[in-house]
Amino acid sequence: MAKQQPSETFELPLKSRRIREAHGLIGLRALARFDVETWVMIIVCAVTAYLVLPPLYSVVQTSLFTTKLTGEIDEFTFRYYRDLVREFQVVGPFLNTLYFSAGSALLATLLGGLVAWIVTRTDAPLRGLGYFTAFASFGTPFILYTIGWLLLLGKAGPVNFWLKRLLGQTEPVVNVYSMWGMIFVESLLWSPFVFLMLAAAFRSMDPSLEEASAACGARVWQTLRRISLRLMLPAFFSVTLLIFIRSFESFEIPALVGLPGDIRVLTTSIYLDAQKLPAQYGSAGAFSVLLMLVVAGTLYFYFRVIREGDRFQTVTGKGYRPALINLGKWRNPAAAGLLLYSFVLLVLPFFIILWASLLPFYIQPSFEAMSLFTLKNYITAIHYPKITDSIKNSMLLGLGSATLVMALTTLASWILVRSKLRGRWLLDLLTTLPLLFPGIVMGLAILRFYLLVPIPIYGTLWILLVAFVTRYIPYGIRYTHSGLLQLHRELEEAAYTSGASWSNCMRRIILPLLTPSFLGGWVFVFLLSAKELSMSILLVSPQTPVVSVAIYELWENGQVGELAAFSVIWSAILVSVAIAYYLIARRSGIQQQ
Amino acid sequence: MAAQRTIRLNAFVVFGLMALFFTQPSAAATIEDIALLKSADRQKILIEGAKKEGKIMWYTTLIVDQVVRPVKEAFEKEYPFIQVEFYRGNAENLVRRLLAEYQAKRYDVDLVDGTVSPIMVQRAGFLQRFYSPFFAEYPAELKDPQGFWGSTNLYFLTPGYNTRMVKPNELPKTYEDLLNPRWKGQMMWSTSRGSGAPIFIGNVLMSMGQEKGKAYLQKLKSQNIAKSTASNRQILDLTIAGEFPIALHIFNHHAYISKMAGAPVDWFALEPVTATIQTIALAKNTPHPHASMLLLDFVLSEKGQKVFQQSNYLPAHPKVPARQVDLKPGGGRFKKALYMTPDLQFDKGNDWVDYFQNNFVKG
Repeated sequence: MAKQQPSETFELPLKSRRIREAHGLIGLRALARFDVETWVMIIVCAVTAYLVLPPLYSVVQTSLFTTKLTGEIDEFTFRYYRDLVREFQVVGPFLNTLYFSAGSALLATLLGGLVAWIVTRTDAPLRGLGYFTAFASFGTPFILYTIGWLLLLGKAGPVNFWLKRLLGQTEPVVNVYSMWGMIFVESLLWSPFVFLMLAAAFRSMDPSLEEASAACGARVWQTLRRISLRLMLPAFFSVTLLIFIRSFESFEIPALVGLPGDIRVLTTSIYLDAQKLPAQYGSAGAFSVLLMLVVAGTLYFYFRVIREGDRFQTVTGKGYRPALINLGKWRNPAAAGLLLYSFVLLVLPFFIILWASLLPFYIQPSFEAMSLFTLKNYITAIHYPKITDSIKNSMLLGLGSATLVMALTTLASWILVRSKLRGRWLLDLLTTLPLLFPGIVMGLAILRFYLLVPIPIYGTLWILLVAFVTRYIPYGIRYTHSGLLQLHRELEEAAYTSGASWSNCMRRIILPLLTPSFLGGWVFVFLLSAKELSMSILLVSPQTPVVSVAIYELWENGQVGELAAFSVIWSAILVSVAIAYYLIARRSGIQQQ
Repeated sequence: MAAQRTIRLNAFVVFGLMALFFTQPSAAATIEDIALLKSADRQKILIEGAKKEGKIMWYTTLIVDQVVRPVKEAFEKEYPFIQVEFYRGNAENLVRRLLAEYQAKRYDVDLVDGTVSPIMVQRAGFLQRFYSPFFAEYPAELKDPQGFWGSTNLYFLTPGYNTRMVKPNELPKTYEDLLNPRWKGQMMWSTSRGSGAPIFIGNVLMSMGQEKGKAYLQKLKSQNIAKSTASNRQILDLTIAGEFPIALHIFNHHAYISKMAGAPVDWFALEPVTATIQTIALAKNTPHPHASMLLLDFVLSEKGQKVFQQSNYLPAHPKVPARQVDLKPGGGRFKKALYMTPDLQFDKGNDWVDYFQNNFVKG
């Protein structure tokens, strides 16, 4: 009887239970273990729902109701959806949005993926550069990074200056205020994210399949295309989906780079509408609700594709240590590619930022301008009010949210991958939704929620932590989910057979094997939360200053040099912490080559 | 027995009422009473009350580093028993936060400032009218007729230009001059409601009249002015970097500050110059009304205005000139300014944003 009784919810307990029965081990322990798993699932779902549902409710409500002058909800309306549909019917902006998001997603995936492959799987020299570039470029405040590119590629910038000379032209050669410029800057911004995720996936590749391919006489390229890339479908899907969505709903790059060149995307009007008084976020709400529907559909489809999850399991009980691919004569070109990537992604923009930070006002790079060099901007930055408190708070928030997000999403992914629940894609959807909440609406939702419920975290760092964790769950889940898909079930089964408890198995088998994804995700969320602005600006209190808000104030009112100096210092701190964490954690994780 | 109890009860009521009556004048003054106090002993009452309150929470849009801190220091020197705390945000976030707090009946805020934030709070019904003896020193356009707000400083929005790319003799002198083909594709402006293209459009429509103004704007449209969501400060920096020779609508004091640092930049006036007003107001349920009134008096007084002057802001007080005199009207570089009062910005602003969207963005 007992054999038929256990629920079908978890395949793993069922299987292992059979094994244990065979060994005559069934008893209270198995029951207790089942309980742990059920509890984990209940807790993870409850925590996720608690974090995500209030803002979700707010977003939907914002899209369906007008707001009174007092901020109260007023009348029910479909107006925002109607306006949006009308906006969608204008072909130009819609196509622009599509080109922009598809272009950015593809270019970023290509760039980040290629670099990840070279760094993790080949014997090309200078591979360490990949990680450093990713961390450092992502640690730079977003606004400044964009401004850096505008100054570099602008009409009066050094790139056009040299191109004009080289080609003997009088007019600027490159026009950064174009679709091309938008895609370029956006995909550079996102390529570290791709790199970290795909590097983790490549690292956990099953070498035997590649070796078999090579043994059959396939070339490096063929193996890559037919074996490696196909095995990494979940990881590729994750990055492409995420960047596509983020670009689709972003207005920063389209506004700063595209708008000056008269390129309008769907979010342009929404952004400008939000300037009206009293501020209405109905269109922004409706836009994100529509996007949520699209994403829900995509995730449903995706889950059907990966239903046969076994196909992607590359980390098995067999000797797991991916061999490095010998590039032969391609070693040096690959290293040159890495150098170029690093140069474009990091050195160029960082050079401009450093340049700006050393000048009393911005002028284009020249030897003559170097006579103006001054440390005044750095002195201003160091004396910025409450600077130590801000750095401490931002650091605490970054460490806290990265750790919590990764802990929560590791458990959530484990449920997604190992359980056979029918509706589990709903949990994935729930963890992906915060990606689609407009920052300001989400900040407001959290603000209102904690003003109403009797949990006294309003005005403290905790409310920021809750907001950040909610905001960055989607990134954590993509890292851990694609990482876990690669782990073969047999490893866990072996642990259980040897009598390990659930927590033991998690701690000693899953987490160590998940290290590459976990680390990538951790660093990414850490760097993201250290830069978060749209919610922080609403949720900070006088006692809890954070760095990103200070940077924003400098962006609005300070000169570019002060902003640059402040950012150089902040990036240096962030990147050191990220690298230190990475090195320490990696040493205690799986052994590297 | 019953009769006795009634008598005792009545005695209680009478005693209670008497107690209430006698203590009323000092203890139970409402926020409104304190805010509108005009008696001779006003200052004494405020100081006594403020000593008990001890602090102020100021929701500000001003730059903390540049001006809020100096004001706080000067004020706390004058009234050492009061601690000024502040939350800094842009108008939109500041108001959102305040409204959310008021919805939840959480009354932390005492003062709120900004070019449009006080009016937004006023229209929501969450401002308290107040009286300050210093109101009398200000012209009508720089104070609210009902006493909802006073002004601390002014902003003048003018074009800024790169002095290496534009010669002084080429400079446009009137709005019409901007239509010269020489400037086609050479100008940039911000999309910001309160300081960029929309308010420029508002100025044109008001000073030229709707019909003439719209005809002008249609011609201006073909000049292909580059739009950006960057702040005015950053647009000016792009002009200094040589990206666009003219930043069409920036804060003139920003250009001045950069020029002083040696940057190849200056500003010029097209009259009437768009002017916006930094206003300050009292929250309806201010928890520290006495102390707040003292701060309001301070920032409106000549003494407080000098702190704004020393911080390189343009004081609103007619008798306190700017540190660099010519940044204000009548200082030698321009005479006529069009003051975009908070009411005007609130009531007409959406139309200007729409006009900008429909003609310059979508058109």
